[in-house]
Formats: sequence, structure tokens, C-alpha cells
Amino acid sequence: MKAFLERFRFHGLFIKMFAVMFVSIIAIAVSVAWTNLRMTEDLFLNTFSITNSKVMNQVTNNFESFHYSNVLAAMTAQQSGTLKTFLTEKGSNESIKEMNAYYGMTQQMRKVQSFVDAYSAGVAVMGKNGRNFSGNYNFVRPTAGELYNSALTHEAEADPGKLMYHLYSGSGKEGQKPGIVATKVLQEATTGQEYGMLYITIDENEFKPFYSSFTSEGNDVVIIDSAGTVISSNHSALIGKKNAELLSYAREIEDQGLHVKKVKMMGKDELMLAQYLPSYNFYLVNMIDQQQVLGQMINTKSIILLCLIIVLVALVIVFLISRKMTRSLTLLSRQMSKVTRRNFHNYVNVSGGYEIRQLGEAYNYMLDEVNDYVGRLVHTQQEQRKAELAALQQQINPHFLYNTLASVKFLVQQDSKDKAVDTIHALISLLQNTISNVSETITVEQELVNLKHYVFINHVRYGSRIRVSYFVAPDCSRYHVPKLMIQPFIENAFFHAFNEKGEGFIHVLISTEAGRLICEVVDNGDGMDMEQLELAKDRKNKSSRQLFSGIGVVNVHERIRLLYGEEYGVTITSQMGDGTRVRISLPLVEVDDNRDENPI
Amino acid sequence: MKKVMVLLLTCMVLLTACSSGNKDKDQTASGGEGDSKTKEITIWAWDPKFNIAALNIAKEAYNAKHPDVKVNIVEFAQADIIQKLNTGLNSGTTKGLPNAVLIEDYRAQGFLQAYPDSFADLTGKIKPEDFADYKIGTTSYDGKQYGVPFDTGVAGLYIRKDYIEQAGYKLDDLKDMDWKQYIELGKKIKEKTGKDIISLDPNDLGILRMMIQSAGSWYLKSDGKTPDLKDNAALKEAFTLYKELMESNIVKVNADWSQFIASINNGDVATVPTGNWITPSVKAEASQSGKWAILPMPKLPETKNSVHATNLGGSSWYVMNIPGSDTAAEFLAETFGSNADMYQTLLTKVGAIGTLKAAAEGEAYTKPDDFFGGQQTVSDFSKWTAEIPKVNYGTSTYAIEDILVVEMQNFLNGKSLDQVLSDAQSQAEAQIK
Repeated sequence: MKAFLERFRFHGLFIKMFAVMFVSIIAIAVSVAWTNLRMTEDLFLNTFSITNSKVMNQVTNNFESFHYSNVLAAMTAQQSGTLKTFLTEKGSNESIKEMNAYYGMTQQMRKVQSFVDAYSAGVAVMGKNGRNFSGNYNFVRPTAGELYNSALTHEAEADPGKLMYHLYSGSGKEGQKPGIVATKVLQEATTGQEYGMLYITIDENEFKPFYSSFTSEGNDVVIIDSAGTVISSNHSALIGKKNAELLSYAREIEDQGLHVKKVKMMGKDELMLAQYLPSYNFYLVNMIDQQQVLGQMINTKSIILLCLIIVLVALVIVFLISRKMTRSLTLLSRQMSKVTRRNFHNYVNVSGGYEIRQLGEAYNYMLDEVNDYVGRLVHTQQEQRKAELAALQQQINPHFLYNTLASVKFLVQQDSKDKAVDTIHALISLLQNTISNVSETITVEQELVNLKHYVFINHVRYGSRIRVSYFVAPDCSRYHVPKLMIQPFIENAFFHAFNEKGEGFIHVLISTEAGRLICEVVDNGDGMDMEQLELAKDRKNKSSRQLFSGIGVVNVHERIRLLYGEEYGVTITSQMGDGTRVRISLPLVEVDDNRDENPI
Repeated sequence: MKKVMVLLLTCMVLLTACSSGNKDKDQTASGGEGDSKTKEITIWAWDPKFNIAALNIAKEAYNAKHPDVKVNIVEFAQADIIQKLNTGLNSGTTKGLPNAVLIEDYRAQGFLQAYPDSFADLTGKIKPEDFADYKIGTTSYDGKQYGVPFDTGVAGLYIRKDYIEQAGYKLDDLKDMDWKQYIELGKKIKEKTGKDIISLDPNDLGILRMMIQSAGSWYLKSDGKTPDLKDNAALKEAFTLYKELMESNIVKVNADWSQFIASINNGDVATVPTGNWITPSVKAEASQSGKWAILPMPKLPETKNSVHATNLGGSSWYVMNIPGSDTAAEFLAETFGSNADMYQTLLTKVGAIGTLKAAAEGEAYTKPDDFFGGQQTVSDFSKWTAEIPKVNYGTSTYAIEDILVVEMQNFLNGKSLDQVLSDAQSQAEAQIK
């Protein structure tokens, strides 16, 4: 989890970049595709409905010309005296007269028929006297008698002046197909007396060609009469059924003068166009199944697929490019992040694009510079410290010499010749060891010798109220320690720890502990509180003039750290009235014996 | 890098999947289309009780062996078929035409001579010698066999036994009638029962055709082209007899098929001299069972060679030369062209008498018909068929008949017979030339 987060952090740039591109590409693709589809759909449906309304006009013309033929046929029948005579006179007993009447009638009916022959329509006539004519159709078409007895005769008689159209769904006789029947009441021109009925029948199948060439899958035509009954349709199943819904839509379109109306019929979205055929009292309804028609024109599937492919390809390209771009940046940032505090040696591998290379090179150059400066700084500081120490070391306090020499003078005056000699001797060897190379270390043994000489001089000078004892683990004497390391603490103890008590002891303990050399200077003097200690640290050696050399307590600490590193140094603990404990920790350093330790 | 490869692979898989999907669709679509072209045929015919019923039996017989072929039977009035064929063939387009069509023998030569290329040559698919000889002349042209002969138009005199008995006649007395005697019979029946003897349509001179063919005469000379009206003795006699029938007031006039059938079924007429194809329509009125008989046709009293056998109508199947003609030809050859068993079924179920010689030997041909009082009608018709005088119908039977219909009216209204026929002759010559 953590590793993943880490990875995520480094790939953050790439992920952000890619996410933005991904989202925008998808958004663009989707919106463009959607808009396009919508626009195409709208455009197409618009064009389609315009074309279809043109087509509807064409269909209407077909209907009108059929109607006109029917009107001509009806007028011819109406105006024919022979026909009128045939339909009104009483039957004769004479065959020849009958023959003549029938012959004359058939001649007239042929004329009437000729108007509608082109539509494969049939004519039939029925007279009030019972005489009739149905044409030679072998019962394919309804006979005059059947028509006369059907309901449509009453409908026609209700409005005798008008040529009316009806759906005739057959008398139930086998083989008879639904047909459209035009009826016209034949009546006397002057009196209006009805004398017969003219029927013009056309098969629904022959009626269809008026519009069927304009229909197609999903583009249906339905013709309904003013009662909502389907008269004709390219869907044969609908014929003869009532469809009130369709009628109400058709009325709405006609009344409101709509161009096209979107409706939902039988669970489908349909575009509906309607036209009223006044001569028929029919509604011509054109229904376009939106989905089916659109499906034919626009292959939504392939468009979406194409979009998907393009988006995928674009995404792949974006993925590759952004990855390549961010990869070098990621690498760079990962390398740079390895530069921790005080570690300026992580140079970056210069790779990637021009910008990244420049950045890397600049960074490396900067690291070079930094390292150079840091090195120089460290060097100068070390030099400076060394010089400082050397200077301090060289400064044997003249007072010390003065006091010591004064003590020796008194000893000589008191005739303590031996003691004087010893004192001189101690001073000589102390000076000898002190005023040599600063950087030199000496063995614990030698340091102890120095210490003893110093303590001896102090005892001579100030009396032996303060006893000094040494506890040195035998294996420690060969380890090296910096010169004059313990002396400043002894001096401190001599001159500051026994201001109140007047007498006491100082223990010097040297031992090894966990791979370290531990030197402790413990006194049972006055002690000091920790604030005083801090104060002492702050003052450093500048203001507190040391008595023997310029090296102060604080100095020692810094010197050890400079020489051996951070983990070594001096710790001081003190308790008021109980004394002070100074603990110096040092590495175990052994130096070959053959080295000349005393060059002078 | 792996991710990239995966993406690329996915794209490729998607693309190939799409393209292969489309290919499959196309293949199935084209395959389906090819099949339906040849395995569906359409046939036009008229008369639901006779020709359509016969077609349905043939379809059933054929589909028993070839269930994959779809046969569409479309019914039209004969006039509509003629009109549609003329329109289609005249305009040179075969669109909307059927694969096979029934054509009346009178009209066949007219179509074959005018549009020989529009009909499929069936020579080799059917054997002309298998059929009655007189049918071959009308169904072939220029030495090629075009039609599959179907029904015989052999005519008989359908007669109401009950009416003639009321008029004091016996059936046996009437077997050897001439038309004069027929008119006398009619007068008697009218007197006794008030019924007319015959129903006639002023526009259909079928009775004239039957009369003259019984004497081996026709509207045209034997070359099939020259009108033979003016000096045609048989025609003259027929005209005279027709007028006599009319003047005797024993004719029920009809103007269309439905009125004609109604006059038979309603019992308005005592006799129906016509082709045997009327049998199903007569039998349609089951209540008249046993009241009918079929007699030989009356002959012409004065024309010497007139016999008691003649013909009216009769038709044959023709295959249109459009895609699917092979299937249609196979259909006709396997059914009407050779299937003797099927003709037995046609006889028993429809009453259609075919002209396939092999079929005449079946037992159905000798079966007595209860509707006609146990008469062996089919064997009678078969007997008469053999006696029908051969004539050449030529190309213009109906064209001449149209002229004669008009002239007949003139004749009935007092114009002299010689004038009528010579006028008709000159009109016919002018028209047919």
C-alpha cells in the first residue's frame, strides 16, 4: 500500500495529465458524436417528412384522378336515357324487347366501364325495378344484388346527390376480397326521383397501387374513413378494423394544419402525416416508423464503433506521448528527492528531452558547486580551528609560569632544595609536553604524567588541601587521547570547585566502556546548578581566561567532536553541594609505538 | 509498453470482429434471395368453382412431391386476365405478369401469334400425342407446343327433367333433337310451366358458336384467317334459329355471369346448352339434385353434316417466358401434363373433364352421378368429345363475335339476314386484315 502510494506520488504528473486528456477526449468524442447524430437525425427526418408530404400530394392526385374517372362514369350513367329506361321500365314478355333492353344497357355500361377500366374497377347497376347488371366477373367482384342488399346502399341513399365511397368487406362468400365501392344514386334530373344505384367497385388490391409504390418498411400508408374504419393499407391486417386513435390524430393534424406530428402508436415513435381527401371523405395517413427509417439511414452502431476506435487510438497516442514526456521528469524528480540533508553527492542521470537534459545538467553543475563550496568551507574552518587551538596551546599563561617560578623561589629560600628541584622538573616536563605539535595526541600514560606534574606544581603552590587520585584501568594506558584534554577540568576543579569547602578530592577515572574510552573527572566540591553550567558553556573560552593554557572546558568538547565526530564529546553533570562529574568519551585510538612522540 | 500492446490488440480484435460480422450477413442475404426466385410461382385463372378448384388440386398433388415450391394461385375475372396480359405484353414489360396463365382456346392463337416470344416453348416437356387431337391445334403455333391442354369444352344440353315431364315429354324422346324441335319444346314448357327454356346474354353468342361447330363450320375459314360469314350456310341457319327462339318469347335474357348462374340455380330456365364446365355451377344448387339430366346437343335441322356434338370454351395452361418459367413448366408438366391420377381427383371433386387420353380410362370416368339421376355423365361427355367436328378457331373469334353481336341486334330488329351477314363480312374483313 505504501509502496503503491509512493509510486502514485511519482506518477502523479502523468496520471493527472492523462486523466485530463482522457476525460477531454471522451467528452469531445461523445458530444461531437451525439450532436452529429442528432443533427443528422433532425435533418433526415425533416427532409423525409418534406419528401413524404410531396409524396402525399402525389398520392392525393392519384386518388383524385380515380375520383374524377368515377365522377365521369357516374355522370355518364346518370345521363344515359337507355340506362334509365332499362332501370325503370317494366319487364316485357317479349324476348326480343328484353334482349334489346339488355343489349342497350350493356352497351351503356361498357361506356361507363371504359372510364374506370384503367383502374381495373368494375361497375354494377341496380334498378328500382329489380333489373341489374354486375359485369362478367365470375363472382370475383360483388354482384349488384349483394351490393344493393348491403348497408352501403342505405348510406348512399342518405345523401343521394353525392358520389360516396365505402369499404365493402364481402358478403362472406368464399374467395371474395375486401373492396372499395363508390356509390351513386341515379335520379331523375328534374324530379329528383331515385330510379337506381350505380356501384363502382375496386379491389382493395387494385386500390393499393395508388400509394403502395411510395410505401416501404417503416413507411406505412393507412386510409381511414370518417368513422375511423381502415379502408385500405399496405398492412392488410388493419383493413376493416376501427382505429379511433388514428382518426383523432388525423383530425388533429388536419384541423391544426400541422405539417407533421410525432405520435406514439403501438409502442413505436411514429412521424405522422395526414391529408383529408374531401371527395372520398377519407383521411390519407402516412406513418413513418422513426426508428426503423432512421435505422436504415444512419448506422448508429457503426458510427459509435468508429468513434470508439478513434477515441481508443487517440488515447493510446496520448498515453504514449504523455508517458514519454513525464517519464524523464518523474525520473528526475525521483533522483533529486534522494538528495537528503547534507548529502550533496546524488548526481542525476541526464536523459530525456532537451528541457529535461538542461535541467539535469544545471542541477548537476549546481551540486558540483555546492560540494566545492562546502568542501572549501569545511577545510577553512578546520584550518581556522586548528590555528585557533594552536594559538591557544602556545599561550602558556605567563601568570602560571610566574607563580610557579615564585613558588620555586620560596622553596629555595626555605631550603627545600629537593622539592624545588622536583617542582622545576615538573614544570620543565609540563612545558615540554605542552609546547609541541598541537595536533599530536599522546597516550593516556603520558597524559597522566602531565596531569601529575601539573597537580604537583599546584600542590606546591597552594598546599595539598585538595587530594588528587588516579584510577586507570590497566588496558587503557596505551590508547591515545588529545593533548591537554583532562588538564582543563582538573584546573577547573582546583580553582572553582573548592571555593567554599576548602578541601576535598578529585578523582580521575579512565576506563573503556562499550568500545569507548571514558575519562571521568569527579570532584566532591561545591558543585553548581545547571544554569551556571549553561552560562559557562556560553561564555566559552573567550572571557574565561584559563590559568594554564588558552584551552577551556568548552574548547575541549569542540576539539573532540572536531577530531572524532559528533558522537563523542564532553558531558558535565553537577549537583549543588555534591560536586561535579565531567565525563569525556573518546574512541579507542591506538598509534604505532615506533612513531616519534617527542620531536623536541 | 505492455499496456500499449494490449490496447493495440484489443483494437485489432474489435475491428476484425466487426468486419467478419458484416460478411456473414451479406452471404446469408444473397443466398436467400436466389432461392426464392425460382421456388415461387404465380398462376392466374378464373372461375373459382372450376379452374381455381382444379388448380388447388394440382398444387396439392405437386407440393406432395415438391414441398419447397410455393404456388400462388390468383383469381381474376377472365376479362381482367385478358386485359392485364394485353397491357403487359403490349408494353413489352413482363413485370406483374404471372408465371403461368389459363387462356381460353378461342383466344390462344391470338396471343401466340402476336407474342410468340413471351410464352415458353414446352416442346419436349409435354407430349402432344398424349392429349385429345383437337386441343393441339389451338395450343401450338409454328410447330412448337406452347400450351398444356386442360379441360375439354365438350357441350351438352343440361335439362330439367321435372319441367319437361310437366310439359308432357320424356327424356328419351329428346335425345335426338334438332334446334327446331328444341324451340317447340321450349314453347310447350313455357305454356305448361311458365318457365323459359334458355337464358341468353345479348353479348355472348356462344349458342351460335356451338351450332355452327356442330356442322364443322366457324366464323373463319379453315385457314384461320379469312372471315367466313356471308356465305356460311350453318351460320345463316343459326341466325335464323336464334331469331326464332327470340320471337317465341321463350328466352330469359341475362346480362352477366351472375344472372346466368342465378337463372339456372333459381330454376328460371329448363335447359342450359353449354360446355361441361358448367357442371359444378349447376351442382352448386344441391336442392335440385336428381332434377337434372344431360342430353346430347341438338343439331342443326337443315345443315346436313351437323352432329349432336359440339364444343364451347375449354382452355389450356400457358407458361410465360419470365424468370421462374422452368419451375412453372415443371409444375404444369407434372400435374396437368401427365398425372392421370390427379385427373381422377379433378373429376370426382371438381367435375372437370380433362383432355389427357390416359386419364379417360380411370374408373371415375364411368362413375354415375346422382345429381344427374345416376347418369354416367363423364363417359357421355367423353363419347361426345370424340364426335366434335374439328374447326380452326383462328386468331379473331371474339373480334368477329363483337361485330356479330351488333349485327344480331340489327337482325332481331328487322334487318334482312343477307344484309346482316354481308355487312358483318365486310366489317370483319376490314378489321382482321
